[in-house]
Amino acid sequence: MLRFIVRRLLWAIPTLFIVTFVVYCALRLATNPLASYARANPRIAKNPKKMAQYIETNGLWPGFSGYVRGYFVWLKGFVTGNWQVSIKGSRPVWPNLKNALINSVRLGLMASFVGITVGLSLGVFAALKPGRLRDTFVNTGALIGFSVQPFISAIILQLFFGVQWSKWFGEPLLPTSGLYPPGHQGFNLVLMLKYMILPTIVISIQTIASYSRYMRASLLDVLNSDYLRTARAKGISERTVLVKHALRNAMVPIVTLAALDIGAIVGGLIISEAVFDYPGMGVFFLTAQSNGDFPELMPWMVIVTSSVIIFNLVADLAYAWLDPRIRLD
Amino acid sequence: MRTSNSSKFAALAVGLALVVAACGSDSSSTDTTAGSTETTAGSTETTAGSTETTEGGTETTTGTDTPAMTITYNIAEKAVWDDGSAITAEDFICTYDAIMNTVGSLSTTGYDQIISVEAGANDHEVVATFKSVYAPYRGLFGGLIKKAAVADCNDISGDFQTEFTFSNRPYKLDSWSETQQVLVPNENYWGDDKAVVQKVVMLPKADPETEIASLLAKEVDFIYPQYSPETADAVKSDANVKVSIQFGGDYEGLYFQQNDGPFADADFRAAFAQSIDVESLMKQIYEPIVAGAKQLTCGPIVPGRYCDETTFQNTYDPAAAEKILTDAGWAKGADGYWAKDGGDAPEIRWMINTGNTRRENTQAFLIPLLQKAGFNVVADNCEAECVFQKRLPAMDYDLGMYISTAPPDPQYLTSSFTCDQIPSDENNQAGQNSQGWCNEDASALLLKADATVDLDERAGYIKDAIKLMREDWVMLPTFQFPKSGVYRTDKVGGPVEAELNNYEAFINFHQWTDVDGDGQIVIGAEQWPGCLNPITECANSSWYQWLVGFPLSMGVYDTTNDGDYKLTPLMASEPVVEIL
Repeated sequence: MLRFIVRRLLWAIPTLFIVTFVVYCALRLATNPLASYARANPRIAKNPKKMAQYIETNGLWPGFSGYVRGYFVWLKGFVTGNWQVSIKGSRPVWPNLKNALINSVRLGLMASFVGITVGLSLGVFAALKPGRLRDTFVNTGALIGFSVQPFISAIILQLFFGVQWSKWFGEPLLPTSGLYPPGHQGFNLVLMLKYMILPTIVISIQTIASYSRYMRASLLDVLNSDYLRTARAKGISERTVLVKHALRNAMVPIVTLAALDIGAIVGGLIISEAVFDYPGMGVFFLTAQSNGDFPELMPWMVIVTSSVIIFNLVADLAYAWLDPRIRLD
Repeated sequence: MRTSNSSKFAALAVGLALVVAACGSDSSSTDTTAGSTETTAGSTETTAGSTETTEGGTETTTGTDTPAMTITYNIAEKAVWDDGSAITAEDFICTYDAIMNTVGSLSTTGYDQIISVEAGANDHEVVATFKSVYAPYRGLFGGLIKKAAVADCNDISGDFQTEFTFSNRPYKLDSWSETQQVLVPNENYWGDDKAVVQKVVMLPKADPETEIASLLAKEVDFIYPQYSPETADAVKSDANVKVSIQFGGDYEGLYFQQNDGPFADADFRAAFAQSIDVESLMKQIYEPIVAGAKQLTCGPIVPGRYCDETTFQNTYDPAAAEKILTDAGWAKGADGYWAKDGGDAPEIRWMINTGNTRRENTQAFLIPLLQKAGFNVVADNCEAECVFQKRLPAMDYDLGMYISTAPPDPQYLTSSFTCDQIPSDENNQAGQNSQGWCNEDASALLLKADATVDLDERAGYIKDAIKLMREDWVMLPTFQFPKSGVYRTDKVGGPVEAELNNYEAFINFHQWTDVDGDGQIVIGAEQWPGCLNPITECANSSWYQWLVGFPLSMGVYDTTNDGDYKLTPLMASEPVVEIL
């Protein structure tokens, strides 16, 4: 196992190199950082000396060799912590990116926990009585959950808990946007959780829908397998069959999926964050992208890519842990 | 919305803030955006004003460094920064140095006429010496930079990224981030108009819909969106929300790009302009927006001292249009469109920003009428950023339609309509005359107006220049567009509606009261500054000025709700202007 982890980690290094170089080239082509800088600073853009200085400092030389040289300039700055400043506002990138990352991870983990827990429970609940009312109920609910896109459920919840509730009772029941109430400064767990309720519900809806379906299908598959029939024939109780044997095996594909999903959280929950004005990685990306802000987009991409690579590894390890037949070596 | 750097900045620079509007900012914007405007009008803020010791008359720019005018500013003895240190001539000098020498300074308009800024008889007297008579001088030093707050007054480009470390207004900045800005009372503020509420919070709200939703959900207490009937509809169900509509410096118009394309032909342009039935347009488009809407007939300026309301009256004259074209050798072809010498009928590309319902409706209304009149008009629209930041500056359109914001001083007309402001290599494509109109007589009048201190005389030059715009059919004004403030009466009170028309917008929020007792007032902002530097690109938006520039940095003059200037508490007396 250890050898596998080390090998995968070593492989991750060239993978990151290749991915970041490709991303670097793609982003430079897509955002044209020099043009973005000129757009954001039109007066400086008229000063050839200053523009040449900007190119030199940030390694924005043209041509393939320029891209290669520029990539290493960027990489050196990134690794040594000497990050390029943002194009809009010329501010350090890390403080905002760090806050966005923390906020997204916080929201994503909470939503994943709620979504996966509830989704798996419903999946088990439905699989135990296939074709019965509870199964129909869960399947229908999952279908609806899949169909309602986050921006729709978000707006409906905002209107209900914010606007309508306020009309009926004078004050909104739940906050509809932001991370804290206006004017709040510092950390406050209770307030923060309160502000995360609606975004969590919105994100969870689709997670619940998908995991309930996965769990139901996976568990049904396992429950109908020969070895469980044998177990039942040997007189093992249904509870033991379910908990000790069926669930563990049914969880194998689910855990893999969950690891990948959690890894993707770092990329932000773009729609939900935007609708709830939640300052996470999704909003960070949208803002940087709209500004063509290459110095902000590159670290974002590196963090997201790294997260995906790491959680792929986690998925593999979890897979092996749950299913001893799998030999990672 | 189109940004007009010069203008805005002028304010900023000029006022560190008085500024112009908006726009660029608006990359995102559609004209539903923010109270801000789509284009800014020109540059500096200005003036007009009466001077105390001046002779008043007209002077023209000398173009040399020979002193032509001095202004002596007397700083109030009590005036101090938020840390209690005195505001002195050094701060004026630092402000001047920063604006003139910082790389990326938004605009040096007006300051570039200054030969020197020096301390006078004492630390509280400042003498600015000009190389030419500069009538819009009231726009200068609209906001100050505290010398002690920067390492080098000649380059403050690296300062004020996420903090604004001084204030001489009733509030000072307590914290700023991407998600909110918090202002708290400046305990050392010496004026009588001290802060009423213990905290003012400003929150970014991406668009009018989000703003309105936040207001209805009681998350914010006040918003300042560009007016639209949809806003009023959206909030009418809540009895505690009030919409205040006022007419200020925003105006909408149709602009004819005449540098090239079909409108380079003066006859064709005149005939086309006279084929637009503006009165019908008012009834069809504008009256449903605001009951009793009145056509704007001043030109690219709003009613007031510099407006002659007869100039653009009765522009619709289809018979005259037909005669002009016929006399010039034009004839309608088989397709019903005017063409000359048997050639093809010129195609007229009408550009607006996509998604602006009002303008799209205007196109839907006018294009069939103009086609029927023989003009091959086609809609050629793109996103707001494309319109205001690319095609307008590149003069890549024939007919344009947008809103501009006029600062209190008409100096912006010089930046927007003089010959040397047509984008060209000579001005690094930075000119703002995106109509491409060049009339030497009009340019001379506008420049003369800028060097004329006497108000009546100055107004005469401006009106004459605008008459030449009418003769040359540079544009057709349509409507003085309203500004709107929307607020919760159960959350905020006091003079909320008193300054909505002001170029400095809701500058009097320090006098608002906290009705619900939550200890704060929350203002929703449609645009959010990327950083807080008061003289670089960070400050190039109205919202920067409304949130940061105006509320934290006081200068010599403030603008008023009726479009004039008033002396701030910073000054002990009216500046003394001497024409040499």
